[in-house]
Amino acid sequence: MMSELVIQTRNLNKRYRGRSAVSNLNLEIAKGEIYGFLGPNGAGKTTTIRMLLGLIRPTEGSVQIFGKDLNKEKLNILRRVGSLVEYPSYYGHLTAVQNLETVRRILDVPRSRIDEVLDIVSLTKESKRAVKGYSLGMKQRLGIASALLGNPELLILDEPTNGLDPAGIQEIRELIREMPQRHGITVLVSSHLLGEIEQMASTVGIIREGEMVFQNTIQNLKDRASEGIRIVVSEPEEAIRVAMDQGFEGTMQQGMLQFPNLNDAQVALLVKRLVDSSHDVYRVEEKKKSLEDIFLQVIGEGGIS
Amino acid sequence: MKRFLRLLSAERVKIANIQIWLLVLLSPILAVLIGFEIDVSNDIGLWERLLLEMGMAHGLLFLPILSGLFAAFICRYEHSGGGWKQLLVLPVSRSSVYMAKFTVIAVLLAITQILFLAGVFLVGWMKGVATPIPWEFMMRSFFGGWVACLPLAALQLAVSVMWNSFAAPLALNVVFTIPNMLVINSERIGPYYPWAQPLLSMLPNSHSFGAFNLALSNLMIVVLGSFIVFFIAGWIAFRLKEV
Ligand SMILES: Nc1ncnc2c1ncn2[C@@H]1O[C@H](COP(=O)(O)OP(=O)(O)OP(=O)(O)O)[C@@H](O)[C@H]1O
Ligand SMILES: [Mg+2]
Repeated sequence: MMSELVIQTRNLNKRYRGRSAVSNLNLEIAKGEIYGFLGPNGAGKTTTIRMLLGLIRPTEGSVQIFGKDLNKEKLNILRRVGSLVEYPSYYGHLTAVQNLETVRRILDVPRSRIDEVLDIVSLTKESKRAVKGYSLGMKQRLGIASALLGNPELLILDEPTNGLDPAGIQEIRELIREMPQRHGITVLVSSHLLGEIEQMASTVGIIREGEMVFQNTIQNLKDRASEGIRIVVSEPEEAIRVAMDQGFEGTMQQGMLQFPNLNDAQVALLVKRLVDSSHDVYRVEEKKKSLEDIFLQVIGEGGIS
Repeated sequence: MKRFLRLLSAERVKIANIQIWLLVLLSPILAVLIGFEIDVSNDIGLWERLLLEMGMAHGLLFLPILSGLFAAFICRYEHSGGGWKQLLVLPVSRSSVYMAKFTVIAVLLAITQILFLAGVFLVGWMKGVATPIPWEFMMRSFFGGWVACLPLAALQLAVSVMWNSFAAPLALNVVFTIPNMLVINSERIGPYYPWAQPLLSMLPNSHSFGAFNLALSNLMIVVLGSFIVFFIAGWIAFRLKEV
């Protein structure tokens, strides 16, 4: 491993009455990256994050953060971590500043830090208002402000854009994206939507039914977007035989010919041969799997073929 | 210790809430209103009588109910919507969080007792009671009532931590407070019934019936014993709690 690992779990397991919520999870998050933790509802993201923060005890396995064992140095580790787990909750009768003040007193950071974090999440104007009147997006931003208060080296955010409108999602995404460069913070952010993670994460871990099914760079995932050429012709049954005779590995799906990974020359040759054997070629399309398709494939089959 | 003090000062910010102070004031104000109705023409043991009559509703109903209510209020946001998570991901040990919460409840109960006592002095002064204040009697009543509330507060905190809810234990607390009127008359059950202990400890040896006959020191042994049991049970449950 080239870069320093900020989070490393070994065979992390959590069982509830014999039912596995997380099994044999080996999470590896390097310093300075934005790690997208993906999985459908009930996959075990929140359960994993709760174990990372010491809110619940693993049934088996260990958690290392900053190279230290969470069990042994919990408070020292937590002092360097900022987090937001599921929905944030507040003292509604208090203002944003007062809510942050309750956290500030525990973390023992200077009072000026409150203004700084409010500025980072653009809540300065609303900071003197009771939090019970806040919109969901404002509450979410206050949650992030609270997570940033202690100048953390690691930020753990569990579905931070849950329930936000597109503008709100965009705003939070921008906020997260600048964490590594501007503040030197490593980020773990969970989501059940790849599209949301794609634009900010450098690495993704995909979890399905408690098991890690993919953990690599987002580029690696994109490279696996298996492309293909789809050809629509007048008589597909005969056409596929012509193609096979020419050595093209194709299949017929829904009356269309499908060929994986043909280059331009191969496409030209195939079309020529089809026309030569008097087939009418109606359409030649390039079929490109979207990342979302790959994600669905991964969580559907439990791995990338 | 430093971490505990920081936690305590964070808790202080959270109770900047008008409702909590209304709860603190409620019983002392009612006691004063009751006090104004007391006939002070008979001069013997006037202070004792004022304290007894003003303290009846306070000790019988308000102290047991407030012990539960304060415990509920102090953890209201932690119990709703993941507040425990937000608190426990901070660099704080669970033990110090539990101690800090309990300390706040104990302090609120102490303030209630101080205000009640102030109410007694106020009524006595306004009615022009001339006899000297029986300080020992007053202080014993003040501390006795306060200490006897602590097991209830600990029980409420413990049960709500175990049940993951505050409404249900709160309702239960009220349900268990109501039989107090019968229980205090029983010399056998009274001292062992946690909800009756605040009144019995506040008004020791003053009546010649039922559980009031029990010596204060015996009662305190029972109170401290149940406090230790409830407090440790809640503390362990909180340490093991899955948040
Ligand atoms: N306290 C619990 N008792 C029993 N089962 C639980 C408990 N907490 C979580 N689970 C189970 O563990 C599994 C994983 O849940 P988890 O909340 O971690 O999923 P998630 O990936 O965060 O899902 P979502 O996207 O919906 O937030 C689910 O099947 C859930 O039912
Ligand atoms: Mg979740």
